[in-house]
Amino acid sequence: MLHDLLMAFQAVATIENFLIMAAGIWGGVIIGAIPGMTGTMAVTLALPFTFYMQPIPSILLLVALYKGSTYGGSVSAILIKTPGTASAACTTLDGYPLAQQGKAGKALNMALYSSCTGDFISNLSLIFIAAPLALLALRIGPPEFFMLMVFALTTVAGVSGRSLLLGLVSACLGLLLATVGEDMYGSFRFDITVDMQSGLAVAPVLIGLFAIPELLKIIVFRHQQTAKPMQMGDNRVTREELRRSLKAMLKGSAIGVVMGAIPGIGPSAAAFSAYGEAQRSSKNRDNFGHGEVEGIAASESANNGCCGSTMIPLLALGVPGDVITGVMLGAFMIHGMTPGPMMFETNLNEIYMLFIGMMFSSILLFGAGKVTMRMFSHISRIPPGMMAPTVLILCLFGIFSISNSLFDVYVLLAMGVFGFLMYLFAIPAAPFLIAFILGPMLEENLRRALALSRGDPSILLSSPITWLFAALALFVLIITIRQQLNKAKR
Amino acid sequence: MGVWRGACVAVLFGIVLLVLIPVYVPRPSFIPGFAPPPDMWPRTVSGLGLALGLLLVALSFSKRAEAIADPESASVLRGEAPKATLLLRFALAVAAFVLYALLVPFLGFLLTSILMLLLMLAMTGYARARLPVSLALAIGLPVALFFFFSSALRTRFPVGSLLRALGF
Repeated sequence: MLHDLLMAFQAVATIENFLIMAAGIWGGVIIGAIPGMTGTMAVTLALPFTFYMQPIPSILLLVALYKGSTYGGSVSAILIKTPGTASAACTTLDGYPLAQQGKAGKALNMALYSSCTGDFISNLSLIFIAAPLALLALRIGPPEFFMLMVFALTTVAGVSGRSLLLGLVSACLGLLLATVGEDMYGSFRFDITVDMQSGLAVAPVLIGLFAIPELLKIIVFRHQQTAKPMQMGDNRVTREELRRSLKAMLKGSAIGVVMGAIPGIGPSAAAFSAYGEAQRSSKNRDNFGHGEVEGIAASESANNGCCGSTMIPLLALGVPGDVITGVMLGAFMIHGMTPGPMMFETNLNEIYMLFIGMMFSSILLFGAGKVTMRMFSHISRIPPGMMAPTVLILCLFGIFSISNSLFDVYVLLAMGVFGFLMYLFAIPAAPFLIAFILGPMLEENLRRALALSRGDPSILLSSPITWLFAALALFVLIITIRQQLNKAKR
Repeated sequence: MGVWRGACVAVLFGIVLLVLIPVYVPRPSFIPGFAPPPDMWPRTVSGLGLALGLLLVALSFSKRAEAIADPESASVLRGEAPKATLLLRFALAVAAFVLYALLVPFLGFLLTSILMLLLMLAMTGYARARLPVSLALAIGLPVALFFFFSSALRTRFPVGSLLRALGF
């Protein structure tokens, strides 16, 4: 294996490959930082260019775009509270408060270090544990999937606000909104208008919920009008902060690797779950949501931790875990390679080249992150009274361009008003969002499980894996209620 | 705030459960195999939401349960401004959003976005302090975005019936 890896290293380490990866990473960071433009869009737009390229450079370009956009989403999440990608929504919880405190540089640096760490660990996992993880992922059926999602939701609802009940209310609202549109058997639900038959897209809901309420806060309360523009301020992450965040970073990376390897879950759920776990186990748990670097470390390491591991089911089993890996599957096939167990026999050299290229791209991500950080640093100096309306216009154009739909624009504005009302009632937005993203999968797997068992709900606790996730969910609930009651006593 | 919030949550989920689901989530006449009906999940979620809303109301009467039911008081969020002023500002902002939605099919995406940006800059108070910058931004940014998305992503923005009638 070592000999093969060295040969692959020699083949990948060319100026041409480095330039392609650098362009992919840098382009991905910029696209990810623009609200409404996603990694999926970047990868899909780049696909036609790969027709004219060699197989491995073309896959590396797509992987680099994916990694870059995943990190790029955190830049706008921290600076303007508008997550560029859904997986960066969790980073706003602590990134934006840090930026408001004049420590945007610290937040961006922590996001970069954590993203690179998560990415690197994810790549290592792809190289060394692809096969066993893929086998484990295959054993996850509808009941296990349902329980895993329940566990993820419980974690998020319990930790992203100061009240478990309000977190659960928020999650219920998200789950309910996710039922709008056509269900898995073709029935239409809540189709009040024709546009609602296809359901509500994630991007307008996500951006409306996080970005627009900021504008409404400035308009209604006027409390930020006199505030000074944000400063990049303290740029460095101290050694103490790094040491303190290391545990959250490693746990986040591990959660990202495992959740990324399971087809369908994706980086958003991983980021929120890692955030929940970091808050639960941190000594500074009260500071989460107010600008805690550990929170940024957990969410960013988890979402980038998914980047490499989403390739595990693709390469080992030929199963794409999400839309991006679906596009990559297309790219592999265009170049005459069919991902799956046979690929490890027929195209082993190409697989090793891909592994090595992905390791290089982690290093390039660090460089691109540092460069773009300086470029985006000017954003933090814009006064909020000018910035918030500007963001609104960016969102309107970005959201419309995704599917040329005015309905999405209306959803964006409506969700902004709804998000502001949630803020007034102190209902946290994060559980709503993650429930909205996971809702369709949660329902689908519940209905599949019930159909399999002929309506017997005991199937949801029929295997050791379901028991494990149910026990974990219960454990999180009990711990959260205990913590909140102790706080009330104090 | 706790009682009001709990009541609002309970009423919202109650309306969904008792009014919207019976009308907008019809049960098909034939369901294949043992598949649960389409209204099973929305009913479960809204029933849970209704219960949580009622629990919020109940816990609001207990000081010990404050940390679970009511972590923040309304005055912390509101500050010193009178409630009527805040409500008026909120109503104006929502009216601006509604106006935008109504004007896009008539004036087109670009022109309405310019007007929207100008209005928002005025509402945040920035336009009063720096009018020339606000005007330049309100025209320049939507125009730049319009050309960027039209040329780079081939997005076709709505022209609007008025501009179409004028031959654009």
